[in-house]
Amino acid sequence: MNEKRMTEVLAAHADGLTGSPAAIQQVHMTNEERSRLAPLFELAERLQHSMPPVQPSAAFVQNLGKDLIDKARRQIALTKRVRRITLIGAAALGSLLSIASVVGAIVFVVARLRARAQARTLRAPAGQA
Amino acid sequence: MHEESDSALIARTKVDPEAFGILYERYVGRIYNYTYYRTSSHQDAEDLTARTFYRAMQHISYYVDRGAPFSAYLYRIAHNVVVNWHRDTSRRQIISLDDLVMRLSAPEEPAALAEEHENQALLLEAVRRLPPERQQLLILKFVEQMKNAEIAQVMGRTEGAIKSLYHRTLVTLREELTGVESGQEEPTWRTSNE
Repeated sequence: MNEKRMTEVLAAHADGLTGSPAAIQQVHMTNEERSRLAPLFELAERLQHSMPPVQPSAAFVQNLGKDLIDKARRQIALTKRVRRITLIGAAALGSLLSIASVVGAIVFVVARLRARAQARTLRAPAGQA
Repeated sequence: MHEESDSALIARTKVDPEAFGILYERYVGRIYNYTYYRTSSHQDAEDLTARTFYRAMQHISYYVDRGAPFSAYLYRIAHNVVVNWHRDTSRRQIISLDDLVMRLSAPEEPAALAEEHENQALLLEAVRRLPPERQQLLILKFVEQMKNAEIAQVMGRTEGAIKSLYHRTLVTLREELTGVESGQEEPTWRTSNE
């Protein structure tokens, strides 16, 4: 009996234990295969018997659920606040930048006009001054 | 009534705190079972289940749906939480025989029952000495009654790899139990091939 065949038979046996009895019924085993795998089948059955699902206490489930929802609510509120602050901050920064650029442009234009006027004055003949 | 999908609930967690509550109710039992069978204590299972869900909630905004079920995400967190717990406490795992007694209902002779409990305790102790991945496989298979394909999805492996891991796990577990029964020392598990 090769390794692959053993793996498949054991998997089918486990499926049979966990709610699909047809899985193992579909596998045809020789007597030799059956006797060779018997200890592992028995071990799987012992495992199945020794590992029943357990239930958490209702109080624990309820308390943790309530606490998680409270925390989720606070987390969502915090995220919203952070997003709002970020948005307001970005808007304020944008406004400041716009104002600064307008002021900068005015200063630049005034400075250029002044420089031009000064240059004109310097270029004018002395007599005319 | 149509049950809302996990993906829809995950998307809704960004704006609706109740959505995470629904996910929690859907999976709390499974995670509790997983942590219980990894620790053998109801108290520790409650603590680790709580830590798993707090961590999941904290990181859910980073969750990316790659086709794996949401339970895979939770089991991964639970696995890390349990590993950290074992590292932090460095506790030797003890089987709670009281729990086993509570769960068994067969009205048998006391001596036979005691022997059965002892055998179960030995078996569960041997399971807890397995590498975490093998323990997870046995829990998903026998406690959660999952199919190999589902286990493969949760553990991020192929179905064939799960079948093969199950086979190897049974073989090593049997060797371990045979060794314990004949009074040999506990073996060191080999994990390099997993």
